[in-house]
Amino acid sequence: MADDAALIDITGLTKRFGTLTAVDSLDLQVRAGEIYGLLGPNGAGKSTTIRTLMGFLRPTGGRAGLLGGTADDLTIRARVGYVGGDVVLDRGLRAGDLLRWYAGLRGGIDPARVDRLCALLSLDPTRRIGELSSGNRQKVAIVQAFMHEPGVLVLDEPTAGLDPLLQRGVLRLVRERRDAGAAVLFSSHLLPEVEDVADRVGILRAGRLVREDTIANLREIARHRLELRFATEVPSGLFDAIPGVTSAETDGRTARVVVDGSVADLMRRVAGYGVDRIVSRDEDLEDIFFAYYQDEDGGR
Amino acid sequence: MSTATGSSARRGGVLRQMLAERVRTLLWWSVAIAALAAVVGASYPAVRSVGGQIDQLMRRLPEGVLELMAASGGLVSPAGYLNSRFYSGLFPVLLLVFGIMVAAWTIAGAEREGTLEPLLANPVSRTRVALERYAGAIVMVAVLAGVGTAVFVLLRGPFELTELSLGRLAAAGVGVFLLVSVFTSLTFAAGAAGAGKGGAIAAGAGTAAVTYLVFALSAFVPFFRNLRWLSPWYWFLSPSPLTDGWTAQALWPPLVVIVPAVVVGTIWFARRDLR
Repeated sequence: MADDAALIDITGLTKRFGTLTAVDSLDLQVRAGEIYGLLGPNGAGKSTTIRTLMGFLRPTGGRAGLLGGTADDLTIRARVGYVGGDVVLDRGLRAGDLLRWYAGLRGGIDPARVDRLCALLSLDPTRRIGELSSGNRQKVAIVQAFMHEPGVLVLDEPTAGLDPLLQRGVLRLVRERRDAGAAVLFSSHLLPEVEDVADRVGILRAGRLVREDTIANLREIARHRLELRFATEVPSGLFDAIPGVTSAETDGRTARVVVDGSVADLMRRVAGYGVDRIVSRDEDLEDIFFAYYQDEDGGR
Repeated sequence: MSTATGSSARRGGVLRQMLAERVRTLLWWSVAIAALAAVVGASYPAVRSVGGQIDQLMRRLPEGVLELMAASGGLVSPAGYLNSRFYSGLFPVLLLVFGIMVAAWTIAGAEREGTLEPLLANPVSRTRVALERYAGAIVMVAVLAGVGTAVFVLLRGPFELTELSLGRLAAAGVGVFLLVSVFTSLTFAAGAAGAGKGGAIAAGAGTAAVTYLVFALSAFVPFFRNLRWLSPWYWFLSPSPLTDGWTAQALWPPLVVIVPAVVVGTIWFARRDLR
């Protein structure tokens, strides 16, 4: 899809709080029909990016664009659904009253749609928000974000506090909106969740986007951890100078090898040495994730 | 459940919601204010019957003390009694507690509890949220000022306050409303500008206390006498609307503070970062 179809268009975004640069020259686009997973450790700038996109924070530089404009335009905000981190809704209100109020502010919403979402998430709208568990409060936040069938969804850790079954339900809702053509920016700490739902991911570190790729490409380059069990003692130097092998430890007849990218060269090298068994401990994207979190320069 | 339907966002949704959430609170405050006004009013016939002795006592007090109570004409006259017992202290202070509490919540309190962001994710502008919530605070202060005044209007006969015309009682009600609105507005404006809930309360309550002090000491200390024109308490109480009716001093100076404070606070709120 062409870049001009980006419904979320963040260009050169910088946000400083005094001397602290929370987001630094960030470029990030999310196209229609795409779920973009935003990953990063605490303090990486995920929430600052999202709050700036929603118009809660003013950019120090650059632009946080939505649907061809910014969140300051109310006609644009009407087409955006938002779940913030650390959901706090008016505790004194019943969930249904809050949803009715928000629906009124949005010019009215089909009650059947709200009922369906409440049923799907097993939310009792007659209960006061202050009496709800954090998971149930999260459900109210999710219903209000989805009830107007938004064209853009901005979700800051939307499944926090939900049990695995409900997490799956929320991810299904997110995919439904994506399939209906919405652009979704989805921040999370949970890599498996992002891996499961996102089409592309970006990894933020210290306010900078240190890696951005499709899940498929990241899988291609993901490191593999292989445990090879040989029929006899592992010959010394067997794993030297094999392209892609980043480390190898041997212990008697067992070798533990980490491979970056393709394992073809490794397989060719060990083919004649009587490998009895290969155990793959492929940790999916976790390695990439941690590498970008930990490396000082963000590279590998 | 059912939700509202319609083609466009309706104005007043933020104000209506704020008032709906506070109907019960407002009712209890109204009952308390009405009860206090009734007790003060019902005590007047007894005070009047021993008026001579009280006036003798009052003649020994320095002039400044009576001025402070807006009772230069004596404590036994209906105006002097109501000013000293109700309008110069108890009534505005109670309204101030309520007004500052509500105004501090409108922006700063909601921001601190975290409910402002979800609200502003809806297609409703910051300016609208600020102005509708400010209007909510002011409407509630007006209701309480009206309740206190209404007690004296309705029970003028039994309370032996018939010397006070309805116009003067109404002027006093509007005057106290404007006095309290000054500090309520400063609280709102400080919160909207990002002072935080504590800062907003400090702005409103602090200004009320300092300006009261200026007014109170102006009767005795020449330095403060020169500054008293700055005090909203002076605008309201010297002279009192109960004796002089609709005075320009009680009506216009408060507006000169209120309007710019609300405008500046709202503009600032529309431009700044949320916390």
